[in-house]
Amino acid sequence: MNDCYKFHTLKKMKSFFSHTIFILLARIFLGGIFVVASLDKISDPQAFTQSILQYKVIGPTLALGTATILPPLELLCGLSLILGVYPRGSALLMSVMLIVFTVMVSSALLRGLDISCGCFSQDPQVSKIGYQKIVENCGLIIVSVWLFFAPNQGINLLQFFKKQPNKSLK
Amino acid sequence: MRQALREALILLVAAIGLGVAYTWVTHQGFFMKVQSVPSPPNSNLEMISLVKAKEVFESENALFVDARHEFDFQQGHIRGAVNVSLKDFDIHVAHVNKIPKDRLLIVYCDGAECNSSIELSVKLMESGFTNVKIFFGGWQEWISAKLPIEK
Repeated sequence: MNDCYKFHTLKKMKSFFSHTIFILLARIFLGGIFVVASLDKISDPQAFTQSILQYKVIGPTLALGTATILPPLELLCGLSLILGVYPRGSALLMSVMLIVFTVMVSSALLRGLDISCGCFSQDPQVSKIGYQKIVENCGLIIVSVWLFFAPNQGINLLQFFKKQPNKSLK
Repeated sequence: MRQALREALILLVAAIGLGVAYTWVTHQGFFMKVQSVPSPPNSNLEMISLVKAKEVFESENALFVDARHEFDFQQGHIRGAVNVSLKDFDIHVAHVNKIPKDRLLIVYCDGAECNSSIELSVKLMESGFTNVKIFFGGWQEWISAKLPIEK
């Protein structure tokens, strides 16, 4: 009886642990992509504004506003997802951003624009848009939506830095 | 769901604050013009209109300098213009130095919303060029007026 109880407890723990680790890995993967994607945009907002304008969807003022807000938003969402601070909120924002990016790329492809993505590098010669980019984005959308609806949000890495309550005072 | 929306809103507000603060401190994005527009009394830089740019173009006395990225330049530029992209200015320096310093240079970029022409003009003047003017309407105004271009 005791062995059976131990077995079930261990199995339960193992299942829970692997699920938590899996969620954490997915968070680090998606969050890492957003952090890396934000760095080049943050370093050169002007080049990113030009990348946005290439899509010919929004005007210069709105593009400048987007180039001001989007890179730090990507960075914050990426970091908060990795750390487990506001994981659902960041997964929600990432899903929305990825859907918008995918619509923009699809629209540019349908209009026959031969432009660079502007996703990871602002060099106009690097990473031209294509159907591969749409497939990649769809994969990331699935991950972000799954993280948003996941019942278990994994480990909050900031908990490691929090002070544990001092039980000896009781 | 409400919790997620609250988290998303906090992140969005933080990103707006961070973005505005960063661009303000580094004089980029919305705050680029504040940094790069030279004040007229301290500078010899002169902005010229489309009409004036057209006159200069027809007189063939000036060299048009395209401050945009090489990729945009290859897509189309003012006929006879040379590309000195602001981003790769250091690479172009050797080429630029072959131009006589007193030659009239008309610098332009994409249009009124970009500042590359101003920044490039400042760099050109720092390099010793004495006759630099900015066609502030830039490429967009030029093609809207259906003036001569080449690819």
